[in-house]
Amino acid sequence: MEPSTRLASIQLNNATISFDDRFTLSEIDWTIEPHQHWVITGANGSGKSALAAALAGVGKIEAGTVQGLPERVGLVSFEVQAELIAEELKKDDADIMDVVSLGTPVSEMIFEHCEDAELAYELVEKFGLTTLLDRAFRKLSTGETRKVMLIRALANKPDLLILDEPFDGLDVDTLAMLQAHLASIIESVPMVMVLNRFDEMPDFITHVAYLDKDRPDPAQENKKQGNRARREGGRLAFTVDRQDEAAFNELYQLLHLKTTDLSVPEADPAHQLPALDPNQPLVKLKQATIKYGDTVIVDSLDWTIERGQHWQLSGPNGSGKTCVLSLITGDHPQCYTNDIFVFGFQRGNGESIWQIKQFIGYVSTALQWEYRVSTSCRNVIISGFFDSIGVYTKSTDNQQKIADQWLDLLGMKTRADQPFNKLSYGDQRLLLIARAMVKHPPLLILDEPCLGLDDMNRQLVLALIEKICEGKETTVLYVNHHTEDRIKEIDNHLTLDKNH
Amino acid sequence: MANYFNTLPLREQLAQLAKCRFMYSSEFADGVDALKGKKMVVIGCGAQGLNQGLNLRDSGLDVSYALRPEAIAQKRQSWKNASENGFVVGTYEELIPTADIVLNLTPDKQHTAVVNAVMPLMKEGACLSYSHGFNIVEEGMQVRDDLTVIMVAPKCPGSEVRAEYVRGFGVPTLIAVHEANDPKGEGLALAKAYAVGTGGHKAGVLMSSFIAEVKSDLMGEQTILCGMLQTGSILCFDKMIEEGIEPGYASKLIQYGWENITEALKYGGVTNMLDRLSNPAKIKAFDLAEELKDIMRPLYNKHQDDIMSGHFSRTMMEDWANDDANLLKWRADTAETNFEKTPASDVEISEQEFFDNGILMVAMVKAGVELAFETMTAAGIIAESAYYESLHETPLIANTIARKKLYEMNATISDTAEYGCYLYNHACVPLLADFMKGIKSDVIGKGLDLDDNGVDNARLIDVNDALRAHPVEAVGAVLRGHMADMKKIV
Repeated sequence: MEPSTRLASIQLNNATISFDDRFTLSEIDWTIEPHQHWVITGANGSGKSALAAALAGVGKIEAGTVQGLPERVGLVSFEVQAELIAEELKKDDADIMDVVSLGTPVSEMIFEHCEDAELAYELVEKFGLTTLLDRAFRKLSTGETRKVMLIRALANKPDLLILDEPFDGLDVDTLAMLQAHLASIIESVPMVMVLNRFDEMPDFITHVAYLDKDRPDPAQENKKQGNRARREGGRLAFTVDRQDEAAFNELYQLLHLKTTDLSVPEADPAHQLPALDPNQPLVKLKQATIKYGDTVIVDSLDWTIERGQHWQLSGPNGSGKTCVLSLITGDHPQCYTNDIFVFGFQRGNGESIWQIKQFIGYVSTALQWEYRVSTSCRNVIISGFFDSIGVYTKSTDNQQKIADQWLDLLGMKTRADQPFNKLSYGDQRLLLIARAMVKHPPLLILDEPCLGLDDMNRQLVLALIEKICEGKETTVLYVNHHTEDRIKEIDNHLTLDKNH
Repeated sequence: MANYFNTLPLREQLAQLAKCRFMYSSEFADGVDALKGKKMVVIGCGAQGLNQGLNLRDSGLDVSYALRPEAIAQKRQSWKNASENGFVVGTYEELIPTADIVLNLTPDKQHTAVVNAVMPLMKEGACLSYSHGFNIVEEGMQVRDDLTVIMVAPKCPGSEVRAEYVRGFGVPTLIAVHEANDPKGEGLALAKAYAVGTGGHKAGVLMSSFIAEVKSDLMGEQTILCGMLQTGSILCFDKMIEEGIEPGYASKLIQYGWENITEALKYGGVTNMLDRLSNPAKIKAFDLAEELKDIMRPLYNKHQDDIMSGHFSRTMMEDWANDDANLLKWRADTAETNFEKTPASDVEISEQEFFDNGILMVAMVKAGVELAFETMTAAGIIAESAYYESLHETPLIANTIARKKLYEMNATISDTAEYGCYLYNHACVPLLADFMKGIKSDVIGKGLDLDDNGVDNARLIDVNDALRAHPVEAVGAVLRGHMADMKKIV
């Protein structure tokens, strides 16, 4: 038989595929070239297994096209495994009135439709199933069943091998053996694997596809309740060539953030902020005005931010968004000529800016540009306790521990001691968000947190912000000039117009 | 007015010169309390005036600006600086009588006129503050007996004073109390609170005297800090052109070279700077520096002698009276040097290459730092002061050259420093003419051309011992240790 090099590429063009009328993958664009080996990964519930199964012809194409699917596809997955077991049990039921069924023996399962018996024998031996060949398939353990399925698929000499979480439940030796065998056949068969853990990814994998789970629209969700509407899968958000090391690392982090059970680390109990009067607003600007010479940037703005009231501030470039923020943070010199109440202080009465800043976590592109000290990733997070750029105060063991928990959450644990300025732009942004949140401030200001980031890093930042919004004690003030980057928890909007 | 220093007996002169102590963080536990609720009025709204004022206000203090009526009427830059930043701005007559502390942050040459104008307006028992002691020490300004006179001198350009504060840090700061004017004994408390208000306490504060500040500051800025870097830039550039080095490369090697090599100085003193070289290059740099020190020692002595005797300040004040004729001519001459006129190319030079191809520059920095330190300490200035005014500030000045060459350096430093820099340069360039004849591109521009890096063991040990045994290294190690404690984990 010719090796699979004769295969043309597999192409999904704007394909919408439904599965049992209950689950849909929409608008998938994906091309698998011969000799590529892919891993599909993504958020939980995004439809990774469904996408893999679609390559085996599972599902109904509702729109778009799917071309070049090979005839002989080996598919190993929990779903197929479960189906086989179910079938075996059914046979058992059917025979219950007659004699006790032994079920299909393992040897039949393996050799019945086998293309390469010699290989099958070899694998049976390698997988240590020799003594189990006469046993009934349904009597096997889950791990053993999985091995049988792998042997079936491999010995069937498929033109495309689809392995959905193939390494789950395998012991260390078997895992190594399987990895080695897969590595030995990469020239003859393209592979697509579903994997949730990057560290299991074999070296021969050339590409990674990431399925993103869009946040469900709450209104839609409500409607769905009761009428069991079909569930939407994620979109195929990115494909990454493994050669692209930077993109590959970002994908690793994104997956980590999307799938980790870790939540935002606690505040430092030894670093308590002064208590705020719960009856006072966090911020109250009265007739706030900023002007340079005769140019008025902000004109008579009244704005009150109550505790727990998330806000989105938008407006075109030059409408003074950042100016308004800097009145709140105390970074604008004209905060002394305006009527500003922040965190219990009427500005200009002998308070210092550090008394104001302690209540605020702040992230912006400008901050990132200004953060030019050569310091470690861990210290960047620790600096959030002191509102400084760089660390000039001795930090406590607990503060260091909290910083490490944040690094863990970001999937950057191993990079704690690396210099901040050597990180990618997106990683720097993530660290600065962690820095802003580390003290659990009453007000978190995110000034265009996705600005200058590519799509993957945008996803990363939004994933982190979402994690943060799960907590309740921080009021979020989110600034951007796009309306599409919305955070669902935010329902107060202030739009500034260009005055000048 | 007589030169104040010269009116003191020798033992008092020596006692004042010897004042310099690195203060402990615990000495700033009271924060800005001594200035809380007091009215601070700044005179002058240039880089120091504006940025110190912004810091003090952000520290919760009451700051306003007194400007001359014409600056207000004509809406000059100083008026714009102050009013656009939301400060109260008024005339001397309006604001000085209300002030508890008047911050004189005008250039040296305006001090006499400014102080004479504000003194009669100041209320009984108020405080007058300087950021440089020239007016008191060299011009002998006599301040009213009931007024407290202090100095708070951030050892950085005004823009840095602000930038470091905003980062949550500060810049090293020198404070002093003029003992002849401390009627209530509150001078030190006010100076400490002021240093906290600008953020200086986070970076380290030196307790010094007006005299030690002036005499060491003048010496440092004229010789190693500005003079040596200017002379070195011009000589090294011209030599490289003579040796056929590509002009854009030569320009870049010098413009950014000072900054790169003195960064090593900042971290580990002269020893570390030379340790960045290969062994043969280190021995070469050491020998060149020894030669340079022998040639330049009389010049350093002359600068220090003229500063101590008051000759320097007298001649400079004569130039002030002559509409800055010398200063302006020298400034124009500098703009016409080949180095200044040749733009740096965009060729890539690695950090190590600045050392390898700039052996002569390393030697010049070593010679200048050590000579300035030796000359200052021989004249009675305490080692701590001498360290700050030689080695410590060299990287700060080198940064200004990296930004925009000599123009930027001279624009950033005070007129007094600029004047001293030109004096030094005019004497030093001809002084080094013979020495420069023997210089080839192996020590400036190309790096040593060697088959291997072998050296004689005994010779290397001698050189390493000599480097480490210099007294600037001993005091430097202690002071850098303090600074590291302050900065901790920057």
